Amino acid sequence: MNGADLTPPLLRFRNMRKTLPGGRLLLDIEELSVHAGRCLLLTGPNGVGKTTLLKIISGLEPPDHAVADYRGASRPWAAARDRYRRDVIYLHQQAYLFDRSVTENVTYGLRGLGLSRAQITERVERALELCGLSHLADRNARELSGGEKQRVALTRALVLSPRALLLDEPFAGLDEESRNRTGFLIQRLKSEQVGLVVTSHELLPMAGIADEHFELRAGRLVPPARRLPRAGAGHRARAAELHNRVAYFDAKVSDEAG
Amino acid sequence: MDGLGEATFRALHLLVTGDAELWNIIGVSFRVSVSAILISTPVAVILAFLLAYARFPARLPLISTLQSLQSIPTVVVGLLVYMLLSRRGLFGDLHLLFTQTAMVLGQIVIAFLFVVPMAHGVLAAADRRAWDTARTLGAPPWRAMLTVMTELRFGLLAVAIAAFARIVTEVGTSIMVGGNIEGFTRNIPTAIALETSKGEFAQGIALGLVLLVLALLLNVFLGMLQGKGEMR
Repeated sequence: MNGADLTPPLLRFRNMRKTLPGGRLLLDIEELSVHAGRCLLLTGPNGVGKTTLLKIISGLEPPDHAVADYRGASRPWAAARDRYRRDVIYLHQQAYLFDRSVTENVTYGLRGLGLSRAQITERVERALELCGLSHLADRNARELSGGEKQRVALTRALVLSPRALLLDEPFAGLDEESRNRTGFLIQRLKSEQVGLVVTSHELLPMAGIADEHFELRAGRLVPPARRLPRAGAGHRARAAELHNRVAYFDAKVSDEAG
Repeated sequence: MDGLGEATFRALHLLVTGDAELWNIIGVSFRVSVSAILISTPVAVILAFLLAYARFPARLPLISTLQSLQSIPTVVVGLLVYMLLSRRGLFGDLHLLFTQTAMVLGQIVIAFLFVVPMAHGVLAAADRRAWDTARTLGAPPWRAMLTVMTELRFGLLAVAIAAFARIVTEVGTSIMVGGNIEGFTRNIPTAIALETSKGEFAQGIALGLVLLVLALLLNVFLGMLQGKGEMR
């Protein structure tokens, strides 16, 4: 895909095929790689299979056929999935929060990892604090606003320290401020060496963030008809601002951690 | 018709004075039906979950069959259980016919056939993202299943309560496999049927009142649950 990569990808899929129950070929992808610290943007019209592709990558939905390379071994999708599942988290376009408190939502994935109760509590409290959700900790997650729900869902995923995050339309239905915040978060995750795959209808919010861009057309990954907007003066300014905010955030994190 | 007023008065008298025979009948009803619901509901809900979430070849025919069986007459269930438990039946050696265990078995079948399609309806209509979210956060399948069920707890509890109401009031199976033996397998519905046929209305009315109060309490409880479920 991108020959310039020196490090091997986190996760690579080859010969992925998926047909719909009716027999229509939905996905026919020769190769797709997820790299640590890089963001892959997938665009394409509705119903072209972007969500299905993310679900196959995350291990939620089986393809008809695919080979996955993970940690130096090449295996059929089903066998590889059991090994990489815990490292890859899929986030719905609209977050689904369990009908429980915010704290219990964030705790969900930490159960069954062999952590002690105290360790779990500590991690959850720190995560809630970092994401500015402490004041909502005891509220039922279903009662929150849309933006707050999205933040809880992200926190719930990030507390597990995933190596890759799959974001389905993360900018859909967000206002300007929330878009910027989401873009800023993706940058931060990249800088923390998380691998990202993002689907989006809109190109603008991804300018300066995506490292690669493919369009899904007739089941194949092709170079996009519309390129990402070049990082012009405006975008350079925005990128610089994002960069500063990342630096600010990092400083804040290390302050709070120390 | 002064008989009815008098009978009702005597019925209330039986209830408040703690008539031993009457309360024994009520005890049999509850013991049998609570056992049946506790045994059948978990299994039925798990099967309903598999029908809604797993993909296997005979799934759709199985769903249709179970949906049709939901309206099976309780006397037919009684007949089947009777045949299985009668001396020449498959399980005749266990000598279970005309025992409370036989009644529990019959009610398990009725509750099971009621709960599976109803719970399947609840589970199939639910938001699939619950399952996806649980799985992508690392939950193994059994835990994701419990999570989905917990998300739907109000609906599933309503199904269980409706099933309980059905078996605690049914007369066909109880009378056929229980035999309406006084002090042993006589429960509320079979007692009402017997007393009425003997022209003894007082006990029948008293037991009928107990069932009505029970139905009322269950409905109030269900209403409270649904109110709570709707807030979310």
